[in-house]
Amino acid sequence: MDWQALALTLKLASVTTVILLAIAIPLASLLVLGRGRWLAALEALAALPLVLPPTVLGFFLLVLLGPRTAVGRGITAILGHPLAFSFDGLVVGSVIYSLPFAVQPLVAGFAAIDPALVDAARLLGASSSRIVFTLLVPLARRSLVAAAVLSFLHTVGEFGVVLMIGGNIPGATRTISILIFDQVEALDYAAANRTALLLLVLCFAILAALYGLRKRAAWNVWGWK
Amino acid sequence: MQRIEPSTPFESNRLSPRLSARLSLRISKPILLMCLSLAFLLPAPAQTPLRVAAAADLEPVLPPILELFHQSTGIRAEATYQASAMLTTQIMNGAPFDLFLSADLSYPKKLIDAGLADAAGSTDSTTPITYAKGTLVLWTRKDSALGPPSLDLLRNPALKRLAIANPDRAPYGRAAVAALTSLKLYDALSARLVTAENIAQGAQFVDSGNADAGLISLTSALTPRMASSGAFFVIPRDLYPPIQQGAVIVTNTTQRAAAHKFLDFLLSPPIQAQLAKSGLTPVN
Repeated sequence: MDWQALALTLKLASVTTVILLAIAIPLASLLVLGRGRWLAALEALAALPLVLPPTVLGFFLLVLLGPRTAVGRGITAILGHPLAFSFDGLVVGSVIYSLPFAVQPLVAGFAAIDPALVDAARLLGASSSRIVFTLLVPLARRSLVAAAVLSFLHTVGEFGVVLMIGGNIPGATRTISILIFDQVEALDYAAANRTALLLLVLCFAILAALYGLRKRAAWNVWGWK
Repeated sequence: MQRIEPSTPFESNRLSPRLSARLSLRISKPILLMCLSLAFLLPAPAQTPLRVAAAADLEPVLPPILELFHQSTGIRAEATYQASAMLTTQIMNGAPFDLFLSADLSYPKKLIDAGLADAAGSTDSTTPITYAKGTLVLWTRKDSALGPPSLDLLRNPALKRLAIANPDRAPYGRAAVAALTSLKLYDALSARLVTAENIAQGAQFVDSGNADAGLISLTSALTPRMASSGAFFVIPRDLYPPIQQGAVIVTNTTQRAAAHKFLDFLLSPPIQAQLAKSGLTPVN
């Protein structure tokens, strides 16, 4: 069993989830609270990663992050190494790939909150960030959990993007989905079954524990009642 | 005693089963008619094409040959390009291919051993028919800081990323590792290798500039795109075992005669000459 690939996958999914929530909470707040026609364009843009086949998205990222674009050269100059074929590169790819899975539940959750509450908070002089963190986020905490769970799982199961920008380097970019693919391709179905089963059991346990916690009324992600 | 039915707010809106059945009939009749008329409008299905499962390195090579085959025999052939390993898995699981053109001999041999393919018609029906040999090249972009490709480039410490195909399964990947081992460079370079799923993706890694150099197939290096953006160096043939590309007929095919015709066509001198121009070494 390749525990290295499993550990790498969980690390990638955790880092990606944290970054995605940091991006998606302000983005979803802006989409729900903001005004202006360009917001529709922004919302459409945030949903676009769903449209492209993951390998195609990965190919575009490979080209974008490479030394032939200004973006790629800029990143290489800042980091000292190109992003492709590195763990950091996978994080960038995963954040883009899983963005809709973080943004969509949050937008739905925030939009379901009674606008009168937001208006009242505003009349009482609350700043936008205060409205987001003391009103929207606590009231939409179930959406927040959904966004986190979906981002995490979607990244665990990510394959096409990793295949395209990873380069299959053990410990850096060989995630568990790449490992299972390798085992299938090597016609080693027994090993592939074992790895896939481990992944399924592990994710089932994480999900069941999380949903079990959520069922308890006292539990609340942010500690607010 | 009166029975109280549990009710939901939605229940009052629901249609009675009879009414909804009538409604669905009313909707489905025009749709049904439309589908039927569409079926008549479609052209009569042509003869099923010969389905060829082809290794990824044949992607730049095969399309004109399929066209020539159609012109000279009237048989339409369609190719699916994948890594040889992937195609083997698919055929093992019943993919409806008639013919398999692998990039090596081991995968077609696996199918023969499993009783799923054969080389009927050749001298030995249990050995895949070798139709060409592959050539490994070292490729770099023209704007590479490392300069034109050569064996010395592989010893250059400025070479940070060398793209190869997956050596566990891709024939060109195996050849790349064999060549690096013969040059006694494998240990020094192993940490700098980036592994592509197949040889076509290996070409992508280096063409996009993400890898500094790549050990790829001559067929990829000779495509117009790669030829204009970079340069290649042919890896000396004594450094790796020959990449013999083998073909087999999928035993379950319903088009055995057409498959044989295609194999004969592929082995005929004019087509073999065309293979040579595309970066494969002819066998005839």
